[in-house]
Amino acid sequence: MVLRRNLFATTNARVVGAFCVAALLHLAGTVLIPGYSAPFAIRAMLVLASLLAVASIGQTLVVIMGGIDLSIPFVIGFANVVAAQLYGDGWNFVLVCGLVGMLALFIGGLNGLISRSLDIQPLIVTLGVGMVVQGLVLLWTAGFPSGSAPQAVSSFVSIGGSAGPLPVPWLVPSLVVLAALVVLVLERTPYGRRLYALGSNPGAAPLALIDPVRMWVITYAASAFFAAVAGVLLLGFTGSAYGDVGQPYLFQTIAAVVVGGAALVGGRGSYLGTIAGVLVLTEINTLLIGLGFQPAAVQAALGFVIVLLVSLYGRERHVSTTI
Amino acid sequence: MADRTALDFGGLAVRELVIAPGASPITQAIAPGEIVGLAGLDGHGQELFLKMLAGLEPPHGGSIELGASGVSRKITGFRKAVASGIAYLPRDRRANGIFPTQSVLDNFAVSTLSRDTRLGLISPAARKARYDIYREKLSIAAPRPDAPITTLSGGNQQKVLLARALALEPAILLLNDPTRGVDVATRHVLYDVFRGLAADGMGLVILSSEIEEILLLCQRVLVFRENEIAAEIAGDTLTTDGVISAMFGRAA
Amino acid sequence: MSPVARLLSLGRNFGFAVVLLVVLLAVNLILSPGRFQPGSWGALVGLAAPLVGAAIASTPVILAGRGGIDISVGPLMGFVNAFAIQLLFLGAGISSPLVLVPAALLVGALVGAANGFLATIVRIQPIVATLGTYLILTGVTLTILPAPIGPAPAWLKALSGPLSMLPLALMCIAWWLVRRTPYYDQLMAVGSDDRAAYTAGVDVTRVRFIAYVMTGVLGGCAGLMLTALIGSADPNIGPTYTLIAIAAVALGGVSLVGGRGGVAGAAIGAIDIFLLQSVLTTFNVSTFVLQIAYGAILVLAVMLTALQERLAMGRR
Repeated sequence: MVLRRNLFATTNARVVGAFCVAALLHLAGTVLIPGYSAPFAIRAMLVLASLLAVASIGQTLVVIMGGIDLSIPFVIGFANVVAAQLYGDGWNFVLVCGLVGMLALFIGGLNGLISRSLDIQPLIVTLGVGMVVQGLVLLWTAGFPSGSAPQAVSSFVSIGGSAGPLPVPWLVPSLVVLAALVVLVLERTPYGRRLYALGSNPGAAPLALIDPVRMWVITYAASAFFAAVAGVLLLGFTGSAYGDVGQPYLFQTIAAVVVGGAALVGGRGSYLGTIAGVLVLTEINTLLIGLGFQPAAVQAALGFVIVLLVSLYGRERHVSTTI
Repeated sequence: MADRTALDFGGLAVRELVIAPGASPITQAIAPGEIVGLAGLDGHGQELFLKMLAGLEPPHGGSIELGASGVSRKITGFRKAVASGIAYLPRDRRANGIFPTQSVLDNFAVSTLSRDTRLGLISPAARKARYDIYREKLSIAAPRPDAPITTLSGGNQQKVLLARALALEPAILLLNDPTRGVDVATRHVLYDVFRGLAADGMGLVILSSEIEEILLLCQRVLVFRENEIAAEIAGDTLTTDGVISAMFGRAA
Repeated sequence: MSPVARLLSLGRNFGFAVVLLVVLLAVNLILSPGRFQPGSWGALVGLAAPLVGAAIASTPVILAGRGGIDISVGPLMGFVNAFAIQLLFLGAGISSPLVLVPAALLVGALVGAANGFLATIVRIQPIVATLGTYLILTGVTLTILPAPIGPAPAWLKALSGPLSMLPLALMCIAWWLVRRTPYYDQLMAVGSDDRAAYTAGVDVTRVRFIAYVMTGVLGGCAGLMLTALIGSADPNIGPTYTLIAIAAVALGGVSLVGGRGGVAGAAIGAIDIFLLQSVLTTFNVSTFVLQIAYGAILVLAVMLTALQERLAMGRR
């Protein structure tokens, strides 16, 4: 018991632990299911994992800061539908992406501003804002979105695609670069260090010259922005617009962040950990579906695994040790 | 004294400051190299006064000005205060001081992050070098600066917080009960540090709940009672009895 | 005094949710007197009952503080719904309320105990622990009941109209009894400051664990109310209650940080949301506009509550 606590005491150890679990799951899949490690299967898993990883960037930042963002699935759906619709109407796709990105930044900024400046639970605010956004999109498209993604986006995320000599679509190497950037921002920029400090002790932050409202606005804006990116990528992946395309990401992003070792009370976590969490979730999903489980059973098993993993290394301290 | 501007002596000039409605205004000057003590029974205005000096509480009247490096600046808020050259060490280490999940280095550098950046990125070497200066100066006992700050003793945590404040290179240092929950050995290290800082020309304002500490460190003590300065004691009259009498509102 | 200021001052005295309740009720009465005539109040109560039940059920763990929250209340309602109809009524042919009611409450208690075990003894963050049970319950419900099925026993369906007051009243009486016990004081103490409560000798873990069990039992009851309303079993309805119920709790002035508020506030918050839905429906707008207004008013209401609290704090 004591040994285990020491073993998983640091964030780094948790990240390593989560990667090990992902590797073990992959090993189990390879043994149990023929073709689990076939090139196509691995490519599919990498693409699915990359999409979830993009959607989880914002959740990681927000959770480190001590918040939570329930608007991610709604913003994904918003970006997905709006991008398809405008592109279908003949807009320049770069312009479309710029507009969608700006709107997403605004939505996210609003989340952060309302939650922090009035000190309201972000759970409620992001949920409410998300519902408004989804409603507006539905209203605009009358519930029947149309349009599709340009070929470039589709081949960027296509499982069968290739990035130069690499047998994976450009999405995967791009994600690796993006992940490195996120890690760099968190570890080595003033913004990143302030983010951890703010999540670690909101009461001490203003005295350390950290402006909480500013940080919340920036971070929630970033969260919505990456959700929008995921929405556009999903448009390329599925081929057509669908307003509810983001719904599975509501709990999956939270689960990935938590399995990756972040604490929802803030101040702890890393994007590398989130990547590990994303891999664990993708492996479990693929493994269980490969074993012939129904989606409902896969979901139940997912819940079970989250609880199991977090009880291994995500335990909070007893109140007696916090006095 | 009262009509001197902050610029005249390069210190902190407090003019007609009202810390609570109805209280009589306070006019004071805190000069470079001086250690001024604040005493009083809990809640009699000394903490409020200190927080107003730091720009953390809006005054009910009057002004605070800091004259440093040739310009005189009004203190209207905490950020303004820090930018003008005032540093503040909070009272409750756990609630308002440390970032428990973060490393000693992070805790040290958090207020002065931009000083270590090269092209927007923090240089770990620069940060470590800056930390080492203060580790030496304050004799911080932290075997691993990248370990969480909670692995340190209370006294060493306090030293790291003091290092954070000193890293701002302030002209005036405001200390809110700096030795609260700190062991005796560390206290004496801190006292030596405070004296050294004053000798180097920094002005210090120390609020303390222990009168002995104030007597040991300060040349001048402001005793607060009912949100006013009940007595200003300096020199030979600075004795435990004198301070206590003033605290309870009796003539010394 | 401007009407807005008067509203705000009323809010300070009675809580913002109550003011909203009065306003919404008035608007509803004016807009659709037919729907809101005294004769149909029973049916309206029946429609609102599951949401009110879900909000009441969500309250105890939130009161217990330190991030206490149970997002598995909705899926629990769905599971109780499927369990009672598919397994007990249709599967085993049991229709007696003497079996179904205790069974539903027992299921609730067990799920609550599981959540409590994870959140207080294993000490996983409550939102993660109950996210786990959320996924498990949703998955299990869909596995035992892949598609909606009916009917429900006649006695249960009878509880959908005016008689839905009965389970609601029982929930309120149960909570009223809890308030008479020393446990209630301990719960509020733990919720507002668990360290102080711990040093004062309160068994914080036990208090929080019991809060989860209470939420489970009340959630089981809400599940039966849902079953009564829809008169069948549907695996997809339950989970939709979770977030709305928490929103209702927040709207009702229960602090999500813990230690402040109560079941009455949560119930009023839930009725607010129901009346809001009702107002929007009478405008006969599309469901899309409904959703926009719904989300916007949710955020605005919580903002107003926060502002009102701020004003109250500033006055002290």
